[in-house]
Amino acid sequence: MDEYDEMYGIEDDFEQQFADELEVMAEMEREHPTSAKVSEFRKKSISQTFEEAIVSGDVPLRKSVNNHCPESISPPVVEEEESLTPKPKKRRQDVAKKLQFENGDDITPPSSPEVYDRPARDWPGFSLSLSPDRPEATKITANVLDISGLATLQESPKRDSAARRHVQKRPPAIGDYITVTDSMGNRVYLNKKEDEEKVPDPRAFRNSLNGLGLLAVPIEVLKEQIAERRHRQVMEESQRLTELMNSGIDSELLAEEQADSGVDGDSGEDEGSSSRLWVDQFSPQHYTDLLSDDFTNRCLLKWLKLWDTVVFGRERKPRSAPADVRPNFTNAQNQNQSQRFKTKSQMTEEILEAELDQYKRPKFKVALLSGPPGLGKTTLAHIIAKHAGYNVVEINASDDRSAELFQKRIDTATQMKSVLGANEKPNCLIIDEIDGAPAAAINILLATLNRKDSKEGEESGANALKKKKKKQSVLLRPIICICNDLYVPALRPLRQQAFLLAFPQTVPSRLAQRLAEITRRQGMKADTGTLMALCEKTDNDIRSCINTLQFLHSRGQKHLDQRSVNSVSVGLKDQNKGLFSVWQEIFQLPRLKRKRIGGDPFGGFNEAGPKDGAQRLQHILHLVSSNGEHEKLTQGLYDNFLSMKLKDPGMLGVCTGLDWLCFSDLLNECVLHGQNYSLMRYFPFLPAAFHHLYAANSVPRINYPHSHYEAFTKTQHTKNALVAMLNDIPPAIQNRISMSGLCLDIISLLLELISPKLRPVNPQLYSTREKQQLYDLIDTMINYNLTYRQDRTPEGQYTYVLEPNVEDVVHFPGLPPRRQLTYQVKQLIARETELERMRRMEKAKQKQNPQKTEAVNKDQEKKTEVKKQTSRNHQQRLENIVKQTVVESRPELDFFGRAIVPKEKPVVTTTSEDGKGGGVVHIGKAVGNSDVWFRFNEGVSNAVRRNVYIRELL
Amino acid sequence: MVQIIISSKAGEGPAEWLLVELQGEMVSRQNTGLAGNLMGDLHYTKEFGLNMETDKMLKTLLYLFTYGKFLICPLSKGVPVLIVGHHILYGKQVKLEKPFAVLMKHSGLPQNEDDAMETNQENPTFYTVSALIKKKLIFKTRPKPIITNVPKKV
Repeated sequence: MDEYDEMYGIEDDFEQQFADELEVMAEMEREHPTSAKVSEFRKKSISQTFEEAIVSGDVPLRKSVNNHCPESISPPVVEEEESLTPKPKKRRQDVAKKLQFENGDDITPPSSPEVYDRPARDWPGFSLSLSPDRPEATKITANVLDISGLATLQESPKRDSAARRHVQKRPPAIGDYITVTDSMGNRVYLNKKEDEEKVPDPRAFRNSLNGLGLLAVPIEVLKEQIAERRHRQVMEESQRLTELMNSGIDSELLAEEQADSGVDGDSGEDEGSSSRLWVDQFSPQHYTDLLSDDFTNRCLLKWLKLWDTVVFGRERKPRSAPADVRPNFTNAQNQNQSQRFKTKSQMTEEILEAELDQYKRPKFKVALLSGPPGLGKTTLAHIIAKHAGYNVVEINASDDRSAELFQKRIDTATQMKSVLGANEKPNCLIIDEIDGAPAAAINILLATLNRKDSKEGEESGANALKKKKKKQSVLLRPIICICNDLYVPALRPLRQQAFLLAFPQTVPSRLAQRLAEITRRQGMKADTGTLMALCEKTDNDIRSCINTLQFLHSRGQKHLDQRSVNSVSVGLKDQNKGLFSVWQEIFQLPRLKRKRIGGDPFGGFNEAGPKDGAQRLQHILHLVSSNGEHEKLTQGLYDNFLSMKLKDPGMLGVCTGLDWLCFSDLLNECVLHGQNYSLMRYFPFLPAAFHHLYAANSVPRINYPHSHYEAFTKTQHTKNALVAMLNDIPPAIQNRISMSGLCLDIISLLLELISPKLRPVNPQLYSTREKQQLYDLIDTMINYNLTYRQDRTPEGQYTYVLEPNVEDVVHFPGLPPRRQLTYQVKQLIARETELERMRRMEKAKQKQNPQKTEAVNKDQEKKTEVKKQTSRNHQQRLENIVKQTVVESRPELDFFGRAIVPKEKPVVTTTSEDGKGGGVVHIGKAVGNSDVWFRFNEGVSNAVRRNVYIRELL
Repeated sequence: MVQIIISSKAGEGPAEWLLVELQGEMVSRQNTGLAGNLMGDLHYTKEFGLNMETDKMLKTLLYLFTYGKFLICPLSKGVPVLIVGHHILYGKQVKLEKPFAVLMKHSGLPQNEDDAMETNQENPTFYTVSALIKKKLIFKTRPKPIITNVPKKV
């Protein structure tokens, strides 16, 4: 019962999960109600002659390619089958049906040569037979997709010139056959047939079509033959050239190539179409063709569908709440856990389920796709937009992305609509490679999102007319942004407002399968193992894979094997791997690769040891040389290599590593000193050596290298301190010391010298010995340009530190701090140093101009004399005042004057100079010039206590 | 037991002096010492309040005899004002909690110090009260400078 429930639950879940895709499927069918998509093209073929098809064969548009295509796309296992190789020109890329072998009997159409005469009759029948099963079939394939690549074959219906069926449930009685087992466990048998019999077919057929056979050979055929011959000549020449160029590469490869070119005489036929990139040629045209992760695809589609309400005015279908189903099959604990911690996918789902805003727009107006290059982000965006019924407007990195232009483009894309087109689709703006856009452009994009938001509030209150006007500016179209690096600083504000979708890696099996299809269509031979190797080599980069294939193909290589894939360095992208991943790869042994299906098991195994090492070496060399940041890389190695698990007890590995580092350092020096850049090619060997020395199976924990930077800043700091110290040292001393000598020999001892034991008391109280000591200390400090500077610690305490802080220069971390002078002593020293310095400056100045100083001295002497003669300053002033005032205001002051009257004794003793006028003297006596004056003691109690003994009293 | 005899003159009774207490010190300008110099003028204002009008009648001349000792004259009412040099001080009159007596020592010792010990016992020294001090004038405010007439330009 439980099991049943669970099964049921899963199915329900499935329905939910793939609801969108099912919807898509339903829509697709709605779009072509009369027949399957295939039939459209079939219909066209009626009006089209074969010649046209041939002529336009190089332009693989739907109409031309599809009108005659006995293509059979079979599972990769069958690929070795020569007979299935299709004629190169007869490819069809657009329509790829998913075929299930259990339906094989039904699907396989009753093919016959007459198919061209009556395609309209045949194909509807086919589509009819297919369509009822269709949702189920796709459902199953979609379900299986992730599990195994083999099951998700992008099959097109097979046809055969012979009336036999290709796929049979039982082994055929006559002829060769291949057994194929699909993932569901069904075994079917494929007939083998000879290819040769097919070759004359079209021509003969065309003859019959032409009817009027005036020439023995139809003109088209003649033309074709001529063209072919010419082409072959060109190709032979070009091949010779490539051979010449490649002669140095690999003799084995070359031989193979030659053999290939020898065998495949008709390779020239392909080259006409090779002008077009396979990547474009085989780019997916439909949602179901997409190779990228299903979840991502679905999320983006869902997000885009959220816009339906505002863009198309369609109502959103309410979904049954997922919570109702879940409790049926998840146990309580599991449920709790899932409620507490939401997985990322759940979060994403939640975002998508979120309510629309007041304009019925989704909460996030921008979708931001991120992921490494070549995963099909742009393709996905285009296809989904197209699929959801939008007209795609793309802004690319190659476009001008200045702020104004960007604004203009956004406005055009989001607010305008093509009027001329037959079907006026709304626009969907795709901004590709937005991480390369300047910050200003991104701000404009944000403003487009936000400014409208702020206006919403106003709008609700505004009148209708205004509303209409403003409504135009509200963003009502979806925008999809695509970037490689999500964490570019410029994108930071956008990240918060965007619906983020990170692209996971393409599943290698799916990619390999797609590659297999392509190789087969192009007439190449490759087994799954090889293709898987290619996938791995390119890090599942679809574009890179296909480009590599095309490259190999254009070199004339028809047989792909693992060795050629490995030996070709084309597949490797010029990608920038992050430093961390490079370090990781250096310090980690690659995981043991599973043996490839195609590779010979024994030979590969035996070779594995040394070859693996060599490969690893090559790999690291390539990795490092492509990275380019040699210095940083080396620093990372240096910082991290000791934390690796070293196995040798004798530390020989460490020594070797250090030797290597020394070597690298020497190289670097050589390069930078002599501009001898040819030596740079030896840089990558250091990481390679490290890889061989230290690589382990465990995942290394790698820290970003800081030690160099720290050491560098410390060195700078030290140097600055030393330079500051050296600069002001008097030349007499300076010429004896160098910076290194100062640093290594002098300072540590000097620091001891300048911290003598001094009593923390007023220097006035020092004994002469102590004074001498202090003087010596200050002398030393001045001569070595040291002083103490008051500094405020973060805790708010004041301390005195050495001014060029050379203490740090000689202080090793971890050692106990040296004895410090007390705060008071340092303060004292600082002050005395300052004073002494000033004194010396003055002395130096005096020495510079001795005459002046003499004069000054004389002046000073004079002054002192004057001072001696006259009384004190304030007195003088008062006297003057009195003198001046007395003359004017004599009568007023007479009360003072009278007061002076008894001038019996003291007057004579005072200064003689003042006694000019009698009256003046008197008054001066009274107020300014009295013999006794009063000194006020502010706030001081000078009470004197004195012991009085009785004996003194007696 | 040490006995010190203090006697007063019979009949008239001791004179009453005033103690002048200054916060500060008197300094001789020419380092000639204070003795014999005119110290300043002591006045009393007529009313309470800091009026500069002083009663000339109550004006007393103070002479310094020795450092720290004043010869004090009549009692009066009002605020005492002391003018020393170019300073003017305002004070107040306070009654002493414990009155002082000014004693004169009459030593019984002969002037030569050799036989001090012997003579000590023979003739005890005695004191005579020359004056009593019951009140003091205390000047503890900051002195104000006397600026006679400030000319417009110095």
